[in-house]
Amino acid sequence: MIQKKFMKQGMVLFGLFFIVVFSILAPTVEAQMNPTEMLQKADEARGNLEGIQWEIVMDSIENGREQNRKLEVTAKGYNSLVTTLAPGNVKGQKLLMQDRNMWFAKPGLSKPVPISPRQKLLGTAANGDIASTNYSGDYKIVSVENEQLNKEPCVIMTLKAIDNRATYDRIKYWVSQNRLVGLKAEFYTVSGKMFKSAEFEYKNSVTINNQPREFISKMIITSAIMKDDVTILRYSKPSLKKVSDATFNLNLLTR
Amino acid sequence: MIAILLMAIFLLSSRLSHALEVSQEKISGDATADSSQESISATHTENVLPGQNPVIFQEDDFSSDMTSPAELGENIEFPDENRTRFRKLKNYFSANIGMLSYGVVQNPADSIVNPHNDLLELPGYVANFEMRPDLYFDSSYLELSVKPRAKVDFQAWEEGMRENDTEWEHEGYVNEWLVRANAWHKIFVSYGRENLQWGPSFLFSPSNPFFTDNGRINAYMEVPGMDFGRLVFVPHVNWSLSLIVNTDEGRSVPLGPDPFSPIYAVKMDYTGEKAYGSFIYSRKDFKQANTFGFFGGWTASDALVLYTEGSMRRGSDAYYPVEDTSSFGASLQRSYSDDHEIKPTVLAGCAYTFENSGTLTLEYLYNGQGYNNDEADLYFTTARNVSDFYNKLLQDAASDAEREDIAALFKRNASSQNASPGLRFLRKNYAMLQYHQVNIKNRLNISLRWTQNIDDGSGQLFGLFSYFLGNHWELFSSGLINAGNEETEFGSVLDYQVMLGLKFTL
Repeated sequence: MIQKKFMKQGMVLFGLFFIVVFSILAPTVEAQMNPTEMLQKADEARGNLEGIQWEIVMDSIENGREQNRKLEVTAKGYNSLVTTLAPGNVKGQKLLMQDRNMWFAKPGLSKPVPISPRQKLLGTAANGDIASTNYSGDYKIVSVENEQLNKEPCVIMTLKAIDNRATYDRIKYWVSQNRLVGLKAEFYTVSGKMFKSAEFEYKNSVTINNQPREFISKMIITSAIMKDDVTILRYSKPSLKKVSDATFNLNLLTR
Repeated sequence: MIAILLMAIFLLSSRLSHALEVSQEKISGDATADSSQESISATHTENVLPGQNPVIFQEDDFSSDMTSPAELGENIEFPDENRTRFRKLKNYFSANIGMLSYGVVQNPADSIVNPHNDLLELPGYVANFEMRPDLYFDSSYLELSVKPRAKVDFQAWEEGMRENDTEWEHEGYVNEWLVRANAWHKIFVSYGRENLQWGPSFLFSPSNPFFTDNGRINAYMEVPGMDFGRLVFVPHVNWSLSLIVNTDEGRSVPLGPDPFSPIYAVKMDYTGEKAYGSFIYSRKDFKQANTFGFFGGWTASDALVLYTEGSMRRGSDAYYPVEDTSSFGASLQRSYSDDHEIKPTVLAGCAYTFENSGTLTLEYLYNGQGYNNDEADLYFTTARNVSDFYNKLLQDAASDAEREDIAALFKRNASSQNASPGLRFLRKNYAMLQYHQVNIKNRLNISLRWTQNIDDGSGQLFGLFSYFLGNHWELFSSGLINAGNEETEFGSVLDYQVMLGLKFTL
């Protein structure tokens, strides 16, 4: 009887001990996550491989000219469809990106026009910035170092594009060790010159595996060449879903 | 009827949903009137981090084809959205409301093809006002759209038999409408009046057997819709297959003197990493020759895009001048309708985008069905004979009434005797150079285009400018100048045209 009582107390104590030890070790487990896993987690806070739809309010200043757009973006993998919701004079314009093939359509213009990737229609934001992020699939990690950013411990990853489908050749990416989200990025040209940087905010939320996760709400892009060129993307109404392939079919684009 | 019904549904639902939203906000009080997001947060505080907005998961967007959240790789769960049914209903509807007004000044060429402008009767002045609402309904399985139009038009003539004549016209019509249903998000069946365009080229889309005008000459002028039944199958993100038939000419006017007859087409599309391509097989009314169309493009670099478009068929349905014993020495006949020689129409183009986002486009067109030098000479010689004969009759006429009778007879005969060759381009070799730049200072869009008929030396300069006045108003202007004598393609119809207009978009 006494033995049983001791056994019960022992089990309770062991359970408590296990919970305390696990709680202490949990952050360490997270911190010991390998860089590739960290990058995948950071991607989850900025997109979804199966597809995503969200609205983006874009305020851009480029060469002194101000551009404001409200966009609806549907993206999956390397494909995305951007529909302009406002202002009125550009409402209904569509930019379809099928991998590197791009088409532009607008109400009244009966035929979608093929355009080159250089025909940027979105200020300093690249097409890859408004679509879903898949750094872990598009880039390989070539080096990792630890550093603090605004007193937050971070892993700085240097990412190199796996092939030319990626938006950037090289990225220096600050990922928070505790929050597992990207906080800052620097983007480099093939020649190794930094041409723009970005900072991220995560005030949206998503539940993954019963855990609330931060989700991107704002991206501030600053040109490294023209310091006054700034584009602010505010993400809202994100909807993670499997997007149909037909969304990106040119035959169904205009109606 | 469908247009009216759709408009009624659209207006009713917008009003109804708005009214219900207002009443619900009143019932809920100030605490919940701020935004739906607060309600969501309140409902799901256990799942939402402090100070964050929850991700909205749209249940309606999932179909049997779509993976449920639980099936997604990371077992993602989403908070419910606290939208009322009526708010959801409102989300199914959308609209682009446009109003357009413009004036045109143009000078018809006094040429052997259109003597004194008595044949084509092109007005010297046009003033126009158009209402252009586009209304849409979108759900997972059904899409509806309707584009009703209301137009008031004023025309005035300066020369020919209609000199000093004016005309007012008003018209209401539906330029386009569409009902499209989809199954498993892979098969799309639609019927409606569409402006069905494809292909990368600007000058002309030879791969499209349905439309000769690809709508790129002047984006402010709508291409009249044609009635189509379509089935689109999208088995993979890279592939699609379409079965298309045009069941009625709709508002479109067939090129040439022949009445409308349906065209059946099968279209297969591929899109790869940097390139795309399509093949189109079509046949007119199961009687005439098979036509094979194609187009393709390659994004060679960030700045350079290369493309091609064309079609091939045996013979031609167009009308060609043939010498005969008639008083004018020749007439237009279908000389090649049973010909077995393949007459290709091939366009090749490239577009280079500069650092300033301006794009220079160069296109070359070989129009295999066009007239060769001998045919063009005979065509214009015959036109001169007809024109001289007509002028002599006018000179000999004793009164204005008699002259009007002669002009009416001339126009009627020209129509009945197939004066139109039924060709989009008259000759065989063309080149086009275009410079296009948008968003200059976030306000100005410009397009400058030179089209050269290489065979007869005539050319056309076209410019299109638009300037945004705020977020809703747009000022636009186009100018067109044709160069060439009256025995050339571009020099024989219009000398110049200037257009100035204002567009409002809600």
